Amino acid sequence: MEPRIEDLLREFAPQVLGTLVRRHGQFAACEDAVQEALLAAALQWPTEGVPDRPRSWLLTVASRSLVDEWRSESARRHREETMAALEPAADPQGTGHRPADQDDTLVLLFLCCHPALSPPSQLALTLRAVGGLTTTEIAAAFLVPEATMAQRISRAKQRIRSAGARFELPSEPAERLGVVLHVLYLIFNEGYTTSSGPALHRADLTAEAIRLARLLHRLLPGEGEVAGLLALMLLTDARRAARTDAAGSIVPLAEQRRELWDAAGIAEGVALVTRTLGTVPVGPYQLQAAIAAVHDEAPAAEETDWPQILALYEVLGQVAPGPVVTLSRAVALAMVHGPKAGLALLGTLDADDRMVRTHRLEAVRAHLLERAGDTVAARESYLRAARMTASVPEQRYLALRAARLHHLAPPADPAG
Amino acid sequence: MKYMIMMFGGLGATLETRAPEWITSMQEFMMKLDGELKEAGEVVASQGLVDPSQAKTVRFQNGVPVPTDGPFAEVKESLAGYWIVDVSEDRAIEIASQVVAFIEYPMEVRRIMDEPPAPEL
Repeated sequence: MEPRIEDLLREFAPQVLGTLVRRHGQFAACEDAVQEALLAAALQWPTEGVPDRPRSWLLTVASRSLVDEWRSESARRHREETMAALEPAADPQGTGHRPADQDDTLVLLFLCCHPALSPPSQLALTLRAVGGLTTTEIAAAFLVPEATMAQRISRAKQRIRSAGARFELPSEPAERLGVVLHVLYLIFNEGYTTSSGPALHRADLTAEAIRLARLLHRLLPGEGEVAGLLALMLLTDARRAARTDAAGSIVPLAEQRRELWDAAGIAEGVALVTRTLGTVPVGPYQLQAAIAAVHDEAPAAEETDWPQILALYEVLGQVAPGPVVTLSRAVALAMVHGPKAGLALLGTLDADDRMVRTHRLEAVRAHLLERAGDTVAARESYLRAARMTASVPEQRYLALRAARLHHLAPPADPAG
Repeated sequence: MKYMIMMFGGLGATLETRAPEWITSMQEFMMKLDGELKEAGEVVASQGLVDPSQAKTVRFQNGVPVPTDGPFAEVKESLAGYWIVDVSEDRAIEIASQVVAFIEYPMEVRRIMDEPPAPEL
């Protein structure tokens, strides 16, 4: 499909759905109807041209689909027969953006990120209802069979209905905005560091997360954490091309070829985080974006302003304490005050249950032990981390680091 | 016909004692093979499993299911990953042979049973 048509469809999808739900209620049925309309447009527009009023075309087709569904059991067959003959209908309101559309999109986001849903369901429903992706595309992005994804989406819609969710802005928007931001963050992460599987990046999901974060930032320009999340995504994604080598192996930040970084993405992210910091209450996404900006602005790894990164992690540790923040703070501490200081801070995480299932503690420890010159312990830590990771590229990277140390260190001298 | 080509072992059995150059060339070999199988439309699915040291085994003991740490089999016999390929048996054996020649560990090739026809909608 032409990119222009795809962009149009994705832009209008949440607006049309919002209008329909506002008019008729019944989120689940309306969502199906919009998918039908998007499908019809994807088939017709490339050959017959984009209608003069694409938004109202979609709304008309979706409305008919909805009415048909209600009218008779044979609706499906009937709709297929009449679909080709549909004429674009007149729209007295035109195709311009109205504030109502924007509100609708926001309400939809809150609805798809409803706390009654599990995170995988929130992700899938957001991508379909707000992102305008098809079930097939979402299934491919998450590497699950299409039938599984269809079932997940259908169950999610049932849950929203049984939770009694209404199509309106939630009464506690700040709390619910936190869930929405987390869902967008998870979509981005799923694309950026796939938690499992052979490919390290799934670019489509990162691009989609950035698109949705941009949309949310446009709707809520005064929310610092929305701007912070968008900046964090831009500044992280800007390093994508340098993150793996030709063989698909991970390249750590310090060894990346910085000329491969996307200067435009960095400039946009830095500008966004600079504009936001200090004007609104500081939050974890803004702080993480500020840290990413310090990394991205260093022309070479050895020129990184580690004292500033350490200071930012200390603030982050107060705003949003947690083991993952401590882990990153230990890296910064080691860069400023030496590996022993970093290792001591890591030691405080050993008893933390939340670290039991992740390889990252051992991976960081291995790096710091290597820098401290303890190759034997470093090798053990690399191997432990390699056994724990669920990512194929990370496992190979960690095994490779361990192998290097093994072949560097001379075998123990029995006489010594 | 669909065949499952199974790889066994874990980090300890395949990667731990290897030289860095071997690990790098193995990675290139696997990526190339994966690409070729996908290109040819022969691969239906492929997955790797995390190291067997992370496995749990649930056993029926004294009338109740009891989970314990560790894999059911010896690490070197524990499933590490698989390809499902839609090819002849000869071709499935040929693919497995290419991998075995490189990793020097045994692989199993077994036909997947036919599925019942899909129910009428």
